[in-house]
Amino acid sequence: MTRSPKLVTGLALAGVIVLFGLLGPLLTGDPATIRDSGLTPPGGEHLLGTTLTGQDVLAQLAHATRGSLWLGLLVGVLATVLSGVFGIVGAYAGGAVDEVFSLFSNVVLVIPGLPLVIVVAGFVPADQRGTSTIALVLAITGWAAAARVLRAQTLSLRNRDYVAAARVSGEKTWRVIGVEILPNLLPVIASQFVFAVVLAILSEAGLSFLGLGAADSSTLGTMLYYAQNGFALQREAWWWFVPPGLVIAVFGGALSLINFSIDEIVNPALRDRVRRDGDVVASDPAPPEPDAVLTVRNLNVVYRGDTPVHAVKDVSLTLRRGEILGLAGESGCGKTTLAYAVNRLHRPPAEVTSGSVMFGDVDVLALEAEELRRFRWVKLSMVFQGAMNSLNPVTTVRAQLKDVLTTHRPEMSSAQREERCAEVLRLVGVDPARLGAYPHELSGGMRQRVMIAMALLLEPRVMIMDEPTTALDVLVQREILDEIKRLRDELGFAVLFITHDLPLLLELSDRIAVMRDGEVVEHATAEDLYLRPHHPYTRELLASFPSLTGEAGALTR
Amino acid sequence: MTTLEVRDLTKTFRGFRAVDDVSFTLSPGRTVALVGASGSGKSTIARMIARLVKPTSGEIVLTGPDGTAVPRRRYRDHVQMIFQDPFASLNPFHTVEHHLARPLRLHGKSPAEVPHLLERVTLPPEIARRRPHELSGGQRQRVAIARALAPGAKVIIADEPVSMLDVSIRLGVLKLLARLQREEGLAVLYITHDLATARHFSDEVLVLHQGRIVERGPGDDVLLRPADPYTRLLAAAAPNPETRFRQGGPS
Amino acid sequence: MGYHLRKLAFYLTALWAAVTLNFVIPRLLPGNPVDILMAKLQQRGGSVDPAARQAYETLLGTGGRESFVQEYLAYLGNLLRGELGVSVSAFPAKVTDVIAGSLPWTVVLVGLATLLSFLLGVGLGAVVGWKRGTWLDSLVPATTMLSAVPYFWLALILVAVLASGLGWFPLNGGYDVVLDPGWSPEFLASALYHGTLPALTIVLSSVGGWLLGMRNMMVSAMSEDYVLTARAKGLRGSRVMMRYAARNAVLPSVAGFAISLGFVVSGSIVTEQVFSYPGIGSKLLQAVQNNDYALMQGIFLVITVAVLGANLVVDLLYGLVDARTRDRSTVS
Repeated sequence: MTRSPKLVTGLALAGVIVLFGLLGPLLTGDPATIRDSGLTPPGGEHLLGTTLTGQDVLAQLAHATRGSLWLGLLVGVLATVLSGVFGIVGAYAGGAVDEVFSLFSNVVLVIPGLPLVIVVAGFVPADQRGTSTIALVLAITGWAAAARVLRAQTLSLRNRDYVAAARVSGEKTWRVIGVEILPNLLPVIASQFVFAVVLAILSEAGLSFLGLGAADSSTLGTMLYYAQNGFALQREAWWWFVPPGLVIAVFGGALSLINFSIDEIVNPALRDRVRRDGDVVASDPAPPEPDAVLTVRNLNVVYRGDTPVHAVKDVSLTLRRGEILGLAGESGCGKTTLAYAVNRLHRPPAEVTSGSVMFGDVDVLALEAEELRRFRWVKLSMVFQGAMNSLNPVTTVRAQLKDVLTTHRPEMSSAQREERCAEVLRLVGVDPARLGAYPHELSGGMRQRVMIAMALLLEPRVMIMDEPTTALDVLVQREILDEIKRLRDELGFAVLFITHDLPLLLELSDRIAVMRDGEVVEHATAEDLYLRPHHPYTRELLASFPSLTGEAGALTR
Repeated sequence: MTTLEVRDLTKTFRGFRAVDDVSFTLSPGRTVALVGASGSGKSTIARMIARLVKPTSGEIVLTGPDGTAVPRRRYRDHVQMIFQDPFASLNPFHTVEHHLARPLRLHGKSPAEVPHLLERVTLPPEIARRRPHELSGGQRQRVAIARALAPGAKVIIADEPVSMLDVSIRLGVLKLLARLQREEGLAVLYITHDLATARHFSDEVLVLHQGRIVERGPGDDVLLRPADPYTRLLAAAAPNPETRFRQGGPS
Repeated sequence: MGYHLRKLAFYLTALWAAVTLNFVIPRLLPGNPVDILMAKLQQRGGSVDPAARQAYETLLGTGGRESFVQEYLAYLGNLLRGELGVSVSAFPAKVTDVIAGSLPWTVVLVGLATLLSFLLGVGLGAVVGWKRGTWLDSLVPATTMLSAVPYFWLALILVAVLASGLGWFPLNGGYDVVLDPGWSPEFLASALYHGTLPALTIVLSSVGGWLLGMRNMMVSAMSEDYVLTARAKGLRGSRVMMRYAARNAVLPSVAGFAISLGFVVSGSIVTEQVFSYPGIGSKLLQAVQNNDYALMQGIFLVITVAVLGANLVVDLLYGLVDARTRDRSTVS
């Protein structure tokens, strides 16, 4: 794993401050010594100058840093333990325990913390307000947000199959939590701990500024309090007021950097990627074949990176008017990358390095951004695998159908648009009354029908379907396949149908291309491919699907 | 030899009968295929047998080799499960070694058996040091099978064991399961939505629809000559190139 | 309907918890607040009649003369009637009047500043996430750094530079004291002028959190299939960004807005102290410094009720922006 520069910088800065807090007090002498050299500017004997009463600011800063770090650590540990108990244990136990624990966390979370702390501090006499009291109060008011995060994480981990597998193998509950779940929560717990430490140091500083801080110790907050009450800023003694705040800021910033990198470990999508100038590095336009709606010639797509991946190698395909061309291949063979590249939907670091994509006589790879946008969906529409995820979860079916029309058919009136949306829904066998529905209100098959209706809206000549039925049940898959065949016969569009399910393609397609490791290894009519497969890989794939009705042959055990 | 009998098993979720009065027997050396669409209740049956979900009513009776009922706390020595998604069923944090040594220890065996377990699922011993993300899907599912075998289980519940794997390695995993079943006399419940493999890899097929078993019998009878209308629908819906190119399969 | 009812039930529970906490704290902690209060009251020339003492005892505890349950019921009764007692620091004003006079200042200043910070942070976050990989990325560490700075420290330095040094803003206060509070244009202009710097400091120190959260969600949303579909549909970039990516990415921020209100109120107490702003936060501190327990508790209750109410509103609005929550009746 390559170390992120953020993590290194964060750890280095935080390390310097922790070292300063640990070792500083040993080197800087007594912070309380009063001298008659009040408010000396930095330099000479006093590196950071002196306070109003002549105390050495550097010595004070070292002790205060140590005090603040100690308090932050104390609160961080306490709050993390509390949030772990209420978040992790509650979520794992489930049922009534979870209900009560999460209700409690949520109530604690919505009751404003600082006013509560102030009220408590108001009742506790100042001489009884020690560091431990302050730490306890800050931990009690500060753990709930982390508990919520941990609960959500635990809930999702708890339903993982490896937790079920551990239970089936007979592991005890505490071991399931401690050995199977906890290690996977570590990044989240670490980030919550870091956050709790920063929040505690900031809150303590705020409390001290309000005069409600710990009476028995010196922290960066109390140092600021004395500086403020000594009118440091008004006397232009910035060296007294600025350093404590700066130490907090640098420490907080360092911990935020650490948290950034933890976030990036948890969520790889956040990791920085180098941006490329364009999605097409080079292309060599080739003349389109007669009678072809889509001609792909010697297309190459490469994922740039430390080890570049050549995902699509010299692929040539021809899609003729009104035909269904099947593209078969297993996961990682490059079939989806190819489908995206045809419509130039691939994102960095993927780039087209050579070849051509001709739509009729339009050179797709040469289109300008705005031309490309106008080309999409009008000439070529797409249906993706997970219809659940392909539809926007927060808007209605109507809104998602209509925005195609408002974008590409601005001349249509609102009533015409509504009528067209209803029409395409009827075409795929969905009641137009469902226009007002949200995606989550539809079944999986219904959502895929809506996607197909959407793809039909502008009557494109080509539709690319990427595993459109894979997530569906056999019966629903059959309905959708029959629907696709019927619509193709009625409307005459051509389909590039991508799937790993070779029997399905053999039944549905006119011609089939078999892809492996980025290359098309065989390209033939469905009948030839089925009866006279040439390439060994095609034969291997065919043999992978036992026949439902035929002889078992050598297949069976 | 261990036999597992399911009698009148029923599970209701908030009044909805997910599993409705299901009975069958898993006996040594035989594979029973449970076929149905998603939501038909087949995973719930698997989870009830694996004691992850409590049945609403009905019984699961396990009879040990000595002919007496196996006591509750020994149940997991005999019954183990293989999960659908090998990417989710192995803990990303732990090594293969951990996944196999834990069940061995829990059931009173020595972790020294790990290499032997790996050998039984045709994996090289050095795999033990790796973590799940360093393995291919097929390798992961083999580790999951080894984990199920570790306690010495004689009843294996395989819940869609190959549906998340790449097509070209599915048969390999199914053949491995079939070999283990034959050589070690395992009782296997093979849960799937794929009618073709159900037919070829089972001695008996149960068709599940809305929580009920609508048809049962030897695979060829049930799938080639279905009596129940739902089974007929299911058999007709599966993609089948033979109906298009009548000449029969590839030579 | 289940969604709204559950939310309402939750906030009633939270309200009950806050009210009870308010009752329990003075009884659990050391010291004898009633005696201190009576002594203070006497200094201010207030009547020391048994009725006044009894009112305080209902609030703070009788020291064991009455049972806990009796005290609790009497306390709840007083709350229901809106009786919060008499303030000793602002004697003879009633606690409710003191609160009524200071609450609007806080609500307007903090409410507007928070809303501004939220809109700015979420808006910038959406753009930074969308234009990922450009110079805009540097906004993230920059604004996060501002959030790690102690708020009052930043505010005091800004006051020193912008108000004392450059004289662009008044040093403190909520309005020019020569003016009479009212709805006159001069007064409103003066209030606006005095509120600008405090609002600016609030926005500066809180915008980073919103920006970071929104940016991260935006990056996640952009890898979702529905954004891919939207691009394949040939929609304009701005539409894909607003209606598809940002529309989904903003949901956690909206949910987080409710939770943040508690922190915002906490921050406002410090703000008001820095700027000697005539809001409810500075009244709370005054009450603490003067052992004015009745006012202290009254303010805590009012703040809590306000925060809970605002939370409820945000939660109900959330139900409007995300249809899924309304139908998800079992998950809390």
